[in-house]
This record gives sequence, structure tokens and C-alpha cells, in this order.
Amino acid sequence: MAEAVVVVEGLSKSFGGTAAVEDLSFRVERGQVFGILGPNGAGKTTTLRVLMGLQRPTKGEVRLFGTTITPGAAVLGRVGALVEQAAFVPHLSGMRNLRLWWEAGGGHLRDADLAGALAIAGLGDAVHRKVRTYSQGMKQRLGLARLLLGRPELLVLDEPTNGLDPGEIREIRDLITRITAEGATVLLSSHHLNEVEQTCSDVLVMDRGRLVTTGPVRTIVGTARSALVEVDDRDRALTVIRSVPGVAGVEHHVDGLVVDLGTARRSDVAAAIVHAGLRLETIAPTQALEDVFLDLVSGADPHPGAAP
Amino acid sequence: MIALFRTELVKATVRVRTLIVAAILVALPVLISVAIHARKGRGPAREGLGVLARQSGLLMPAAILGFTSAFLLIIIAGTFAGDAVAGDAASGNLRYVLIRPVSRGRLLIAKLAAAGVLVWAMTLLVACVGLVAGLALFGSHPAIVPSLAGGSLHTFTLGTGTQLVRVGIATLYIAAGFTGLLAIGTFFSTLTDTPAGAIGACVGVYIVSEILDGIDQLGRLRYVLPTHYRAAWEPLFTENRFSHDLLTGLLVQAAYLVVFLGAAVIWFRRKDIRS
Repeated sequence: MAEAVVVVEGLSKSFGGTAAVEDLSFRVERGQVFGILGPNGAGKTTTLRVLMGLQRPTKGEVRLFGTTITPGAAVLGRVGALVEQAAFVPHLSGMRNLRLWWEAGGGHLRDADLAGALAIAGLGDAVHRKVRTYSQGMKQRLGLARLLLGRPELLVLDEPTNGLDPGEIREIRDLITRITAEGATVLLSSHHLNEVEQTCSDVLVMDRGRLVTTGPVRTIVGTARSALVEVDDRDRALTVIRSVPGVAGVEHHVDGLVVDLGTARRSDVAAAIVHAGLRLETIAPTQALEDVFLDLVSGADPHPGAAP
Repeated sequence: MIALFRTELVKATVRVRTLIVAAILVALPVLISVAIHARKGRGPAREGLGVLARQSGLLMPAAILGFTSAFLLIIIAGTFAGDAVAGDAASGNLRYVLIRPVSRGRLLIAKLAAAGVLVWAMTLLVACVGLVAGLALFGSHPAIVPSLAGGSLHTFTLGTGTQLVRVGIATLYIAAGFTGLLAIGTFFSTLTDTPAGAIGACVGVYIVSEILDGIDQLGRLRYVLPTHYRAAWEPLFTENRFSHDLLTGLLVQAAYLVVFLGAAVIWFRRKDIRS
């Protein structure tokens, strides 16, 4: 079996006695769009910095493409990263920044995917202007262009849509979809739940440095404890659903019936409705990832050693 | 390594600050030369390289380097070195340099080398502009130099060829004399994400070194100060001799390079990048 693109095993990272990440383990398989979700201070950026060799783990191990990461490891050549805000040498033009960054690794710019990167940046003639004159959105787009220069197999994106307007956010989402379709793996951290829900296939939720849960986004959303039911006869369905063992309550809603599942499963409710001869249109989790996330994070055990 | 060096050199060179420094180092020798020329024949002649430069413009670079190497060039060298890592950290660019498959030690050496090339270039610029201005204002002539070396007042003559060769040696020695400063500045630059802090600390070390060097009671301890041999080139012109201090000064600078660059590499390789 091929080694996962990213393997994090028992990762802990402390700063002067304050734990930023504690005993974190996860894997990212080839072709996944993997999201790391957590509130500010959850340890997402620290995890990604350790992943990129910018910080050393206090404990544990991080492997990329089967290679243990050390600062400046050769395997980093297969990775493109956007860590927090895109940053450049401000007194140089966008183009010169791209050129110098690429050539610092010993390559020639002619070997890079400059045309593709510039198309993504979409900066036009502004790419020849000094970066200090750029808006945050322009810098972020140039940052994405820079990480794509080497046609990376793994993209590490830390809050990639920060500072972008809705149109630009949409562009980045489309870009991630396109890159993934071309075979790249994406590891994305965000505290924007919509971003993760709409972009990622799998998600890891962390809070105060610790893993809260991980799995496919659909599965995690599917663990929601309430469901929206659309049926042909709502009044009859109300009675039927209330009789299902474990259901904690049912209410009318503009779109249908909202069921507080309690200890029951959605499949139990669906079976009861069908068995009663009602026509079931849909039964779906009512919660978005946002609700699940808030439930998970608020339910996570706080621990005094964690970073704020 | 060469690619890294070229990258760092471009980053440090292609910026307004460097161009302003270069402009100052062009204007200053011209101003000093004109000032020395304006006082020619007026007032009592005082000792010093400025007076000698009145006899021959070939000595003007030595006079100007004497003025500028005591402080101005130190600040410039401290700025280039102190900004090397901390400047990248302050702009956030350091993390993007380091997520490439690039050795941190090599990056540091490339940054130090780029700063060194700039300092050498600035020192040569001062010397060259001084030479042109000196030749334009005073021409090139043998210089008769009064000296008290050996305990008695006597004179010796410096021919034009000798002047030129010794000006070259002095320029190279002064440029090499910034090696320790560059290493100290690069070390400080790895300790902070604030360039001004690194630059200030680096220049501060040199100011303290100059102060300590003036305290005779410190005895031999002064011999290891980075500024102790700073003026070891002056006897080339004032005493018509090559001082052993020239070699000792270079060795002291080499020692500072090894110690502080080594410390910088060790520290930087272990450092968590949080900027």
C-alpha cells in the first residue's frame, strides 16, 4: 500500500511550556482535499508550520511522501504552500519576486509553470509593479501563483481566502477543484466552515491543540442530531415520528418537519415513515458543518495547558 | 549556493535604500574633497591624511576612507547585515524562502556574502569617487610626508605609484575590516524579527568596542575587540611602513567571522520560524 501523502503521528508542539498542539495524528491520502478546521488558536497554523519544516515538533513525527520532514528537506520541492498571508519582498515587483523565489531553489524560471501561474494570478501588467503597491487580494493571488510554479503534488493552504472578496474566494475554490482534478492533494486549514464544507472531502476538527474528530465531511455532517423531513402528509408524519423510540421531539418548519433525533437514527425515522405508507421526499441532516463544528468544539474537554 | 547568493544580492541591491546609500557615498567624497581644496593655503597645516591629500589627489581616497570608516561605513555595514534575516522575517517573506528545499545554513551564508559584497562595493565606491575627485582637484604628485616615527622628526617621500598601491591596500583592508561586523550583524539578525533591533545591536557592539578600546587599563583585552585594528592601515601613509597589525587585524576579523557566523548558523538551524 502506498504511503499517504501526509502522515502526522503523535505530533506535539509547545512554546515555552505552552502547548500549541498536543498528540495530534492524521493522514492525508493522495487526491484528497483535506481540511483542518478549528477556531483561532486551535493549533492549525502551528501544525502546518511543522509540516513545512518551519518549526520543529516537540514530540512526534511528520512525514511527507514517506520522508520525515526536517527544515529544508528535499521533499519540500514537491509541495506548494501558502502559510497565513502571502508575503513577498515588498520593494520588488511581483514578477521579480516569482523569479527570485523560484531561482533561490536552484532552478531556472523557464522550467517553472510561469504561464499557468501568471494566468492564475490574473494580475495583468500589475505583475511588473512593486508588491508594496498591491492590495491584500492581489498578494494572495500572487502567493497562489508562486506556490503553483513548481506544479506541486501537495498544496498546503493556510487560510487561503483571508482578505479576499467573495468573487476572489469563489475563484480560489474553483482553483482548488481544478488542481485536485489534475491529481494534486490539498491540505487546507480554515476557520471558515463554509469554505471547508464546500471544498474539502475530509476534515479534521481541532480545538486548543487537540484533535476533536476527523473523517469525511459527509460523515461528520451526518452525525448531526437533528434531521429535516419532507413528506406528503406532515400532520400524520408528526405522529408517526413521535412514536419512533429515541426521538426527542418533532416540530413543524417552513421546509418540512425538524426532528430532534435524540438517540434514534435517521434510518429509523425513515423506516417508520415508509412503513406508515407515507411518501418520503427527503430526510437530511438539518445541521451544516458549522453547527456540527460548534457542537464539537463546545463539547471538547478544555485542558489547562493548551494555547489560548 | 550561487543561486541563493544571487537571489539575496538582488534583493539587497535593488531597493531605494541601497541607492540612497550609494548616492550619499558618491556625494560625500566630492564634498570632502571640495572642502579640503577650499582650505588649501589657508590656516595652519594640521597633521592627517586630509593634509597629505592636498599634496596629491591620489591620497584623497585614504583621507576620505579615514573619515567614513570610523562611523558612516559601520552604520551602512550594520544595516546590510542586521537586515539580512530580520528584514525577511519582518515582511513575512522568510517563511516562504524556508519552505523551499533550501539549507538554512547555506541561506545564512548567502545572505552574509551578499551583505559583504555590498559593503565591499560601497567601500570601493567611496575610494573610487575620492580618487576621481582628488585627481580632479589636486592632480597626482609625489607626497612629502613628515613623520615622528623612530622618535625624531623626519620626512619621507611617497611616489605616485606607491600612493596608488597603498590606497588599494588600505581600501581592501578597510573593506575586510567589516567582516566581523557583518558576522555579528547576521547573528543578531537571526535573533529577532525586527531589523531595526538587529541593526541597532550590531552598531551598538561597535560603539561599545570603540569606547572600550579607548580604555588603556583594559590592556591586552583590547586586542580582541573588533575595532582595535581598524586604523592599522594608516601607517602605510603616515609612517611609510606595513604594520604587523594589518595581518593581526585580518586574523581578528576572521575569528569574529568564524565565531559569529557559526553561532548564527547553529541558532538559525534550530530556530522556530514564527514570523
